[in-house]
Amino acid sequence: MPWSDAGLSEHQAASHLVDRFTFGPTPGLVDQIVAQGLEEWLARQLRADARSDDLDAKLAALGTLALTNDEIVRDYPRPGRLRRQAIAAGRLDPELAGGDQRRVLRQYAQEMGYKPQRQIVGELVAQRLYRAVHSPNQVAEVLVDFWFNHLYVSATDNQCRRFIGTYERDVVRAHVFGRFVEMLRASARHPAMLLYLDNALSSAPEHVATPVTLAQAELRQQPGRAGRRYDKIFEQMERNEAKRQKRMQEIPEERPPRRGVNENYARELLELHTLGVDGGYTQRDVEEIARALTGWTLLPDGERRARIRERMQRPLAAQLGFVLDGDFLFAADRHDAEAKQVLGRALPPGRGIEEGEDVLDMLAHHPSTARHLARKLAVRFVRDDPPASLVERLAAAFEASGGDLREMVWALVACPEFWDESARRAKVKSPYELAASSVRALGAEVVRPRHLARWVDRMGQPLYRYQAPMGFPDRATAWVDAGALLQRMNFGMSLAAGRVPGVRVDVAQALGGREPESADAALVEYSRALLPGRDVEPTLTALRPLLGQAQIAAEIDRRAAAAERDAGSRASAGMDSMQPQMEGPEEALIDPLAPEEDSGAEASEPAALTLTQVVGLILGSPEFQRR
Amino acid sequence: MKRGPWNRRLFLKTTGLGLVALGAGGPPRFLERLVSQAHADASGRRRRTLVAIFQRGAMDGLMAVPPLEDAGLKELRPRLAMTPRASDARARPLDLGNGFGLHPAFEPLRGLYRDGVLALVHGIGSPNNTRSHFDAQDFMETGTPFRKGTDSGWLNRALRLAPAPEPTPFRAVALTGALPRSLYGSEPALAISDLRQFRLRGRGRTSPTTSAHGFESLYEQTAMELLRDAGDESFEAMRTLKELDASSYEPAPGADYPDGGLGAALKQIAFLIKSGVGLEVGFAETGGWDTHVGQGTFQGAFAKRSRDLARCIAAFWTDIAAHRDDVVLLTMTEFGRTVHENGSGGTDHGRASCSFVLGTRVDGGKVHGGVPRLRRNELEDGRDLPVQIDFRRVFAEVAGRHLGVQQDAALFPGWDGSRYPLLRA
Repeated sequence: MPWSDAGLSEHQAASHLVDRFTFGPTPGLVDQIVAQGLEEWLARQLRADARSDDLDAKLAALGTLALTNDEIVRDYPRPGRLRRQAIAAGRLDPELAGGDQRRVLRQYAQEMGYKPQRQIVGELVAQRLYRAVHSPNQVAEVLVDFWFNHLYVSATDNQCRRFIGTYERDVVRAHVFGRFVEMLRASARHPAMLLYLDNALSSAPEHVATPVTLAQAELRQQPGRAGRRYDKIFEQMERNEAKRQKRMQEIPEERPPRRGVNENYARELLELHTLGVDGGYTQRDVEEIARALTGWTLLPDGERRARIRERMQRPLAAQLGFVLDGDFLFAADRHDAEAKQVLGRALPPGRGIEEGEDVLDMLAHHPSTARHLARKLAVRFVRDDPPASLVERLAAAFEASGGDLREMVWALVACPEFWDESARRAKVKSPYELAASSVRALGAEVVRPRHLARWVDRMGQPLYRYQAPMGFPDRATAWVDAGALLQRMNFGMSLAAGRVPGVRVDVAQALGGREPESADAALVEYSRALLPGRDVEPTLTALRPLLGQAQIAAEIDRRAAAAERDAGSRASAGMDSMQPQMEGPEEALIDPLAPEEDSGAEASEPAALTLTQVVGLILGSPEFQRR
Repeated sequence: MKRGPWNRRLFLKTTGLGLVALGAGGPPRFLERLVSQAHADASGRRRRTLVAIFQRGAMDGLMAVPPLEDAGLKELRPRLAMTPRASDARARPLDLGNGFGLHPAFEPLRGLYRDGVLALVHGIGSPNNTRSHFDAQDFMETGTPFRKGTDSGWLNRALRLAPAPEPTPFRAVALTGALPRSLYGSEPALAISDLRQFRLRGRGRTSPTTSAHGFESLYEQTAMELLRDAGDESFEAMRTLKELDASSYEPAPGADYPDGGLGAALKQIAFLIKSGVGLEVGFAETGGWDTHVGQGTFQGAFAKRSRDLARCIAAFWTDIAAHRDDVVLLTMTEFGRTVHENGSGGTDHGRASCSFVLGTRVDGGKVHGGVPRLRRNELEDGRDLPVQIDFRRVFAEVAGRHLGVQQDAALFPGWDGSRYPLLRA
């Protein structure tokens, strides 16, 4: 790691490493990394084998994290299906008014043991916040955020919403230190991605040869009884299919999609997941790749699920080219088996699932993919406008390592550009990073993440709910505007004042429990503690003049505390001219999301800063927004 | 301080006062610029505002604006059809005099139609026939009906392509909890459901006054330009809103906004327009249009939503009476609904719907576009109103004529259609 070449002290280097590869320093972390040695720390992080019983206990309380896709399908039905089922069971009168329907459905769902899908998303957000703040394996967590955002699926899509938890777990976390191609393959087969980008619907048009028609023709051509037996079987299958089609026509929501290719996934696969928009592909490539991926779908819900799964176990299914893997289904009868041409390479006719697998491999190892991912990594971990030299270096590392994602971290920190002055504090934290780093800086504990999540939403990053498939933007201008900045300031203030329910804050923790001697000492010590490795002078210069009445501030603090203890709910207005804005008794009981009233008249001269205000100002300061 | 009516001169006089509390003197700088521009620009362009209302869930355009003399309506919608001969007078559509009617819940808009400022655009929709709310809303908001990956919204692009004014934090404001995809993009846009919340919070010991002082001094001296400028804007916006005193805003007499989200949103948009803070795009949304069940006729789910929408728009139009020449209001919805009713007294996802376009320069008092005869063989897929007007034709017209966007090809990438003539120059 060439940090000393960039003129950094070991402490500054550790601080930069923490800024880039963790959700921010906790009290003492930077010193600890210096003591451990930067390389050793990073190596340990890349093994991601540290345990935290506290974190495990928090995660264990989130039951949905361990669900399988099967359990999700069984227990978390989509609202439309629930409704149809309730009507079919004679439990719901479809003529009921909306509100009554919802009540009946809730009751019905409860009896059936069904649970609402929002529980899955809620717990998913919760685990992200728990882990960002408390995971000892910070580098892994940062990379999960990065790769999830790269192969993005959105909880705003009600088709894929309930599978997003298993997607993050089984696609992203499972491969975050593996090879890119493995993560890509897993994502291509996962229900969340299949539904989000519509590949589940994509099928060969009518009258195009499929592995099934080809295999059937071959089997029927067998001489004698064997051939005739297959004739019979396939005729029966056709009759069954026709019947099914007819039955489905009667249920609008169950109507099978018209046959035809859907290009959506193929396009985003090229543009977002692999080659990148300037990666040198054509519309023809999009169409051809879409054809190569026809038939990649998932087991349906409901009674058909068990039936199809059972059918897929039969030897005939494999003979015809079907593949079932978990709930990923390669529906050979929907796959276009004719010849194709992808990125200048001819794909021969007559192939099944292996064709799509080849295409994914080809894309994952394409030089444009190396450059596209190199650039994205450089933007995330170095700066918004990374130099071309850095991108080339990382692209070369990606190709040389076969897309090994752990190696990419080592490649990043081996680049002089990573440590360059122009990269330090060059990134503006995303709201998620800001929230997590604020809690971490204070040494605080998240016991219930719901309100913290609301703050992240409000600052402009509704986790898992960005609507578009490119995921949240990763540049300062996307996060910083007048409204978002105001929310950041308010967040800093609220957190420092202990007004974010579910986060246990004791500002003294940030100083390791030490009480500063004076207001000025408090300002200096908190600035250093919350901004380790940074130049704190500008912060001190800006805030020092406001400490003029330090003694009074301390006085106000003491008196306020006493008054809270004594006064109970007694109205505080006008108690003391020194405390024009004395607050109500129980901060914790006040809903922080409800509109607040500024109690009391405004002073013409600002009052001196209090301790929590100093801390809140630092958390809301421009310096703390950067990493 | 004095409450409305809002008047720039009065505003300037009063903004000098009371700012000490926020730690600065003088009126917000961008407002000074705006106001001086308005003075110097007496004969030139005025700052114009487009108000966009998204009706999420897909409004049944056929129920909003039904054909009056098509027997197919009653055949395909035995329970939902509203005809001039209904035995219950309340179930008769308002006759627009051109073969179309207006659902009685839209009665508050009838006068605007008669005055020629309200146009109804029938058969509007997307060339992409997806019946997924999610996809269709995305396609409409990005303005690229075959492209899911578009990362910016059409309203944001419209702002980028419109003549650049003096910067103001209030150029685009969505009165919504989260920024709508229509406003994703490079131009700053504010999403806030309640303008009164645009301030530093704090009570007691963490007095917002002191905090503001501290933050201002931190952001003023910071080295990163982006943060410094945004900080500056943020404080200016706070000061402005504090001065304008949004919480004591009183709409013009007769502007009777119904309770609820849309009313609150439009009221605040009217407030911003009247305050002269430079609003160019105001965005609001209304839900509950996905009437699969119990859609009703003159009462029921559809009537309830429609009455709210109509009352909100009428109140807004009354409220901004002095600014009407500068405002166009446009409603949109992701698709329409099936012509035939379903088994639960509702309608399912269809194709074309209808839009309301309101403004003094709008070619109003008529129904643009139209609907075919309601026979299965004349419907799209035998079930839906066919799309006759690509929504981009109307959006481009409004962005072009009203906001001054010239490059339609950049506004709607991949589209080479023509604007639908709807506004006078």
